[in-house]
Amino acid sequence: MGPSCRSSAGAMWSAGRGRAAGPALVGLLLTLLVPGSGAAKTGAGLVTCGSVLKLFNTQHRVRLHSHDIKYGSGSGQQSVTGVEASDDANSYWRIRGGSEGGCPRGSPVRCGQAVRLTHVLTGKNLHTHHFPSPLSNNQEVSAFGEDGEGDDLDLWTVRCSGQHWEREAAVRFQHVGTSVFLSVTGEQYGSPIRGQHEVHGMSSANTHNTWKAMEGIFIKPSVDSSAGHDEL
Amino acid sequence: MGPVSRRDFYKILGVPRSASIKDIKKAYRKLALQLHPDRNPDDPRAQEKFQDLGAAYEVLSDSEKRKQYDTYGEEGLKDGHQSSHGDIFSHFFGDFGFMFGGTPRQQDRNIPRGSDIIVDLEVTLEEVYAGNFVEVVRNKPVARQAPGKRKCNCRQEMRTTQLGPGRFQMTQEVVCDECPNVKLVNEERTLEVEIEPGVRDGMEYPFIGEGEPHVDGEPGDLRFRIKVVKHPIFERRGDDLYTNVTISLVESLVGFDMDITHLDGHKVHISRDKITRPGAKLWKKGEGLPNFDNNNIKGSLIITFDVDFPKEQLTEEAREGIKQLLKQGSVQKVYNGLQGY
Repeated sequence: MGPSCRSSAGAMWSAGRGRAAGPALVGLLLTLLVPGSGAAKTGAGLVTCGSVLKLFNTQHRVRLHSHDIKYGSGSGQQSVTGVEASDDANSYWRIRGGSEGGCPRGSPVRCGQAVRLTHVLTGKNLHTHHFPSPLSNNQEVSAFGEDGEGDDLDLWTVRCSGQHWEREAAVRFQHVGTSVFLSVTGEQYGSPIRGQHEVHGMSSANTHNTWKAMEGIFIKPSVDSSAGHDEL
Repeated sequence: MGPVSRRDFYKILGVPRSASIKDIKKAYRKLALQLHPDRNPDDPRAQEKFQDLGAAYEVLSDSEKRKQYDTYGEEGLKDGHQSSHGDIFSHFFGDFGFMFGGTPRQQDRNIPRGSDIIVDLEVTLEEVYAGNFVEVVRNKPVARQAPGKRKCNCRQEMRTTQLGPGRFQMTQEVVCDECPNVKLVNEERTLEVEIEPGVRDGMEYPFIGEGEPHVDGEPGDLRFRIKVVKHPIFERRGDDLYTNVTISLVESLVGFDMDITHLDGHKVHISRDKITRPGAKLWKKGEGLPNFDNNNIKGSLIITFDVDFPKEQLTEEAREGIKQLLKQGSVQKVYNGLQGY
């Protein structure tokens, strides 16, 4: 998104004005194509590891949310819900790789990559397991772990079309361990979390399980190649 | 904006003409804190100096504008200055960045505040050594005026109503004021987080006002907390770096020459012509990390050697040969090596 990307593209086309030497133009072309995919992307940009964001369910218009309140049934772990407010700090989640060092800061998340979503304010990971959800009897989704460390059931595969998770795209999160999709179907809780929606896992991919990145702190894709480029 | 003068932008930022974008950002950030007019109330030229700084950064940080400036000077710049300097300043310090030195805002208890957000920022030892800037896009809800009014400052109040002569009833009622209507609109801006050389784990870089909004008050802050990740070659202890090298048995006895590639690619040369015992430590002063408070002071690099013994058993011939070469008698000293540990 930096101005330098756009201006170097501008320079390339204006260089063709005169009879530029063939090799010079080819050289320019190569330097533009070789750097990482971040340089060629248009639009809002890619979601990268280390970024903190809110996830918005496009069908039910609620944001993925957690807080220090445990389920009264099922696993008894910390509850995960959907909220309508756009200014609640408890709706921020951090995108991390599947293991330590698995996804360095600034590397764009690939479609099909397994990630962990860590709840920023409580340090617990988005998690699901074979317990029934309290309102709809789907699969319970909880927040589990300590300081970002939970277990293998914290892994979710990002399902999207194309190569990388784009900020403007609607994506799905499919659980690695149990294959369910992170979903909302509209059931709402009563007191003490009145108005919050149930978030659960369901087995089919449909309109209830598409999510979009909304507010957040998005780390721009890193330009240097220390992370390695697998598309070249 | 004033007349177009021939300003030397490189001089204003204090960087050489060959400066990298990283050097330019670093110079801007340092000088912006010093030259901000709020910080220099007694200097009549403070505003002008601050504007010059902003203009210098705007041109030199944009590769196309910089090229134009390098060739044609300030008059050769095609467009005028687009962004206001306040805009550039907020990239580095947040919305209310004129609260300096990380001191907390004056807490007026009556003004409610939105939540603070703390973001862990993973940082490599290479970045701790040389410094870096991380560009981040902050998309946040902002309270904007909307048509109409809304209820605000709602509170419980006791109302007394008279039921009859001498009989009163006290009830609780919710009473609200009327305020201008606000709605939350998502806005986006780029922030530049500096990783300063020598930065330590846990240090925070605040961006004032970039946290969550509060419809009835001020937004909270966004703070980046540095988390230094483990390195495969170097271990950090304060400003010192520790590393291990395995050498062969032959090298340990006859000496060796080698290079260790440091965090920024420069080579640290090691030359040994004496015997190197397992566990031997070599101190290389000045080859550690820069000190956060004074980058010119560097810690040390401490290299610990261990020796790789041959894996295959030696032949009879080799055993005899070694006995001859080393001319050592049997030692076999028995002693308490633990001594209470």
